Amino acid sequence: MTETLKLSVDRRDGVAVVYTDGYINNEGGEEIARAAYQLIDEGYRKILLNLAGTKIVNSIGISILIEVIEKLLEVEGRLAFCRLTPTIEKTFQIMGLTQFADIYADEDEAAATLGS
Amino acid sequence: MDAAEGRPSAHEEPEGLAPDWRALADLVAEPSRVDSLIQVCLERIGRHLGAPGAALYVPADGGLRREAHWGRGEFPFAVTESKLAGLGAVELPGGRLLVGEASPAAERELRESPWGVLLGLAVRLVSTQQRLKRHHFEARYRGVELEALYDVGLAVASTLDLDRLGEEILTRAISLLDARRGAVYLLEGGGYRLQRSLGGSPPEAIAPDDPRLAELLADGGSARSELWPEATHLLVAPVELRDEPRGLIAVADRETRRGIAPFRDTDHRTLTLFAHQAATALENARRHREALEKERLERELELAAEIQAAILPKRLPQVEGLELAAWSRPAQWVGGDYYDVLLRDDGGVVAVVGDVVGKGVGAALLVSTLHSALRLLTAGRGLTSELFRDLNHYLVRASGSNRFATLLAVDWPAASNRLRFLNAGHNPGILLRVGSGVELLRAHSLPLGAFGGGAFELEEVELGAGDLLCLYTDGLTEQPSPSGDELGEGRLVELLAGLREQPLDEIGSAVERHLAEFGRGRPRQDDQTLLLLRRA
Repeated sequence: MTETLKLSVDRRDGVAVVYTDGYINNEGGEEIARAAYQLIDEGYRKILLNLAGTKIVNSIGISILIEVIEKLLEVEGRLAFCRLTPTIEKTFQIMGLTQFADIYADEDEAAATLGS
Repeated sequence: MDAAEGRPSAHEEPEGLAPDWRALADLVAEPSRVDSLIQVCLERIGRHLGAPGAALYVPADGGLRREAHWGRGEFPFAVTESKLAGLGAVELPGGRLLVGEASPAAERELRESPWGVLLGLAVRLVSTQQRLKRHHFEARYRGVELEALYDVGLAVASTLDLDRLGEEILTRAISLLDARRGAVYLLEGGGYRLQRSLGGSPPEAIAPDDPRLAELLADGGSARSELWPEATHLLVAPVELRDEPRGLIAVADRETRRGIAPFRDTDHRTLTLFAHQAATALENARRHREALEKERLERELELAAEIQAAILPKRLPQVEGLELAAWSRPAQWVGGDYYDVLLRDDGGVVAVVGDVVGKGVGAALLVSTLHSALRLLTAGRGLTSELFRDLNHYLVRASGSNRFATLLAVDWPAASNRLRFLNAGHNPGILLRVGSGVELLRAHSLPLGAFGGGAFELEEVELGAGDLLCLYTDGLTEQPSPSGDELGEGRLVELLAGLREQPLDEIGSAVERHLAEFGRGRPRQDDQTLLLLRRA
């Protein structure tokens, strides 16, 4: 896992998949937010965050993710996560992210369900 | 704009600053519609000022954030005070209003107008909401922290691999403290060694008596330190178990939305608590690993003993003209001794006693190999030097270094009065002749499996009627008394001499009893094997 977050985006039909590689902290969170807002501006309403390359998320990162979720909800979009480590999944559950964003084990299932 | 023109008449669509109270009443009735309330205000203000757009900014994280906007204009999402002032923002109670292309004269009018007041109220509401959200977030995050502290105990304890342990502790500590960097050290060989790190290059090793470390441990977490120059704020907690140091956890550069900040007292407490959990978990993991290792060793030794027990002859063959008796008693987990008696085609016999150096399954397998090889190679015929040379070569190649076997093998053709033998590094065989002669069959060859060369020449000795031969392993002669005195060859010879008239089985039992008495019932340190052979 690298320290500075690296992102890559796969723009598909209707769903954009954002792959993270690294620590989702303040910096990392802002990267994700930037990418998400860009995608929203491009017209995407369904965003899937694949966190396979991430082992750590801190509270700042989480608060930024919550903002991204809220922003998407404002435009009646949806955010989903997949490939979370058990620790991160548990953290998201405690922080209530799961009320507004779905969590999937693998990407294919997530993309299919989100896109439908 | 002329004030007179701006005032709507009672029958017109309300466009000016007189609010549409009914519509607003609806919005106010629904607390979740504060966004819409703000939108309406912005739109009204914008239209009134003839601007294409307007945006409301509220303070957030050291700057200002765009809370809402209407219409078109340059309204950046996040902006500093000065930038906003530069764009011509108007101050409102609790926020800023940016109106695209507004006239400066409208500013005062705005602030003191009902719309401005409403907007001010809306801003207050938004700030309160933000504060509530923040408190709510933090309260929930306490849950995450508690979970993390609880989890570290479980997760770390179930991880047996030291490398992964270090990583688990590190990632959890960093996440828990919102740190940018971190490092985990374990006490090894008198010093703290770096196990894992993230975010930079902390030192590979720290001496426990390093004064800089003491300084860091005493400090609350705002310090810089030469130990890790890259870090602006360093917080270190010792990992201790029952006051014994086991390691260190270091985290550095706490993040906030505004940037890097020093660690607070609560962080110090949290890390200390975390380190305490980690210490307990590390200890459990260590004990678990040790128990597993112990179990593994015991299992291996059990297996070795099983292999050995399977090899030993269940019954001795009946040989015309020869009496035979033997016993082998293993020490609790050692599995190196063995003996065997093979029948020759001519009715004679080959007898062997051996002792493999080493313990555990490796040694037991060598014993097994020896046992099988001798049986295969003799195959009813007698012993030859060539046989031992071949066997030796094979064992040197097949067994690991430091594994070899001492062996004393005797070959008695049926009805012969001569006995051929090979002693490969083994203790001397005791031959008690009728009368009072005692001869020792000494080792003139190296142990098997030790070196590639060696002649392994067989030797010959007379075996008359009534002569008694005793083959044994050193576990017997090295049997200690409680005072540490060993039984020794001399005492064994004496003992045998005194018993020599008895049936062989009786002699065997008597020797066993004597050994037990000599050792005063202490458990055996080494395997003991005795093989007796007497020409009828």
